[in-house]
Amino acid sequence: MYLTKQEERMLDGEYGWANQVSMKILVRLGDLFGATKLIPVQSAHLSGVSYKHLGDAAIDFLNEVANNGGRAQTLATLNPSSFDQEYLVKHYSKERFAKQTRIIELYKKMLIQPTLTCTPYYLQKPKLGQHLAWSESSAVVYANSVLKAWTNREGAPSALAAALVGKTPNYGVHQPENRQSNVLVKLEAELPAEVDYGALGIYLGKLLKDKIPTLKGLHGSDDEMKQLGAAMASSGMTTLFHIGEPSKKEKLETISVEAKEIEEAMSSLCTTDHAPDLVFIGCPHCAMNEVESAARVLQGKKIRKDAELWVCTSRYVRERAKNYVDIIERAGGRVLCDTCVLVTWIKDLGVQRLMTNSAKTAFYAPTLNEVDVALAPLKKCIQVACRN
Amino acid sequence: MAKKTLVGRGIVSGRCKGIALVSQKPLSFLGGVDYSSGVVVEKNHDLKGESLKGKVLCFPSGHGSTVGSYVLYSLVQKGLGPKAVVNQVADTVVVVGAIIAEIPMVDQIHIKRIKTGDVVEVDGEKGTVKVVDKAD
Repeated sequence: MYLTKQEERMLDGEYGWANQVSMKILVRLGDLFGATKLIPVQSAHLSGVSYKHLGDAAIDFLNEVANNGGRAQTLATLNPSSFDQEYLVKHYSKERFAKQTRIIELYKKMLIQPTLTCTPYYLQKPKLGQHLAWSESSAVVYANSVLKAWTNREGAPSALAAALVGKTPNYGVHQPENRQSNVLVKLEAELPAEVDYGALGIYLGKLLKDKIPTLKGLHGSDDEMKQLGAAMASSGMTTLFHIGEPSKKEKLETISVEAKEIEEAMSSLCTTDHAPDLVFIGCPHCAMNEVESAARVLQGKKIRKDAELWVCTSRYVRERAKNYVDIIERAGGRVLCDTCVLVTWIKDLGVQRLMTNSAKTAFYAPTLNEVDVALAPLKKCIQVACRN
Repeated sequence: MAKKTLVGRGIVSGRCKGIALVSQKPLSFLGGVDYSSGVVVEKNHDLKGESLKGKVLCFPSGHGSTVGSYVLYSLVQKGLGPKAVVNQVADTVVVVGAIIAEIPMVDQIHIKRIKTGDVVEVDGEKGTVKVVDKAD
């Protein structure tokens, strides 16, 4: 891999330990995956924020980086943390509060913005063809497939390294030839709601692993594509998908998906049909119009006394959706920022059964949260959360 | 018995000699290894209950969350981690973990040719694993 003189000096440690270790990560990954050089990135988005997920191990490392000169050289944003500052913060121990606060403070010291959302693209939308280094898998697929920006599926440490150096090795989907699809998926079923996109995503992710599919016969909204991509990236290693017809007249392996497969994926994601204690909308974090959809279904209704409704989003969206937030809160629901079900300790809040419209959450919650899950469209989720 | 040298690819430089702990299953450091003890806790894993401390850890490949790299770093910092890592196929979680933990790593090694208890020498520069003393 070609390195500039300055990059070489960074690798030799002239710019301090944090830059050196970051450079070691970028150069080694670049060498292993066939990069020819480092390229500047428009932004870095980092997973590895929630204390629940991250644990104590990461604090040791982040502390060393922050205290040895690690400072972001590009726009850098953070994934959700394990609690919001109004509601969940009151429910957890002092230790958890201190550890989570410490993690965020260490990132702030590195000049990484505490956006605490998995949908950084609502705050600042990457442009077509811009190079990024993002590590939230749902955001990676959305950036590549819907926004057509270019990012590999970074890990938490490599996204951090890219943030601190401001560059990433140019392997993988940073090369146009690696963005071409290698499998054609013909959809021969109707997808009436966002959950159906999610269930399709779980099915495809398992089947395709890291392949780049072209999906034919799909006409979803950006929000439905968000559900699809988040699910594919959960059950598989998807980085990118295309919609429409394959660009070349090449012979691609072709797979047909029928309603039966989607129904099976849906039922495999549902582990209970009992009434939920918690209804959750907002994985990935809600866009403005998803907060609006939730509010419209809730208008004039009240949440059951024996259940909670969480609508999770970014502070950015919440501030701009104030009218809808008021409707949700008047009905007894909660609009939580900075966090979500997957990255917090819902079991410790007494939750045993979760209902959600997110296939990604349904895929992960039985193991990450040890709860039973029901998957249903937003409208049904909210109706179930309401009193009759 | 003749010593055998397995030739793979050097991932992280450094040399060490130690006792091999061999698994046939992929390992996730996050969730699969207890951060405070360095013991494998992943359900149904063939190393479940084994401590990684001071071992040359040989397994096919890493999987799971990329935060796992930090677990490897911390275990090594606390003296509870492996001395070196040998993989069949290097994945980014383990590569980054070995880089930041500063332990030698080699991949493209046929793991089945090493047995738990073998004494091995790992050379992360040359990309070799030499079995210097066989387990019984």
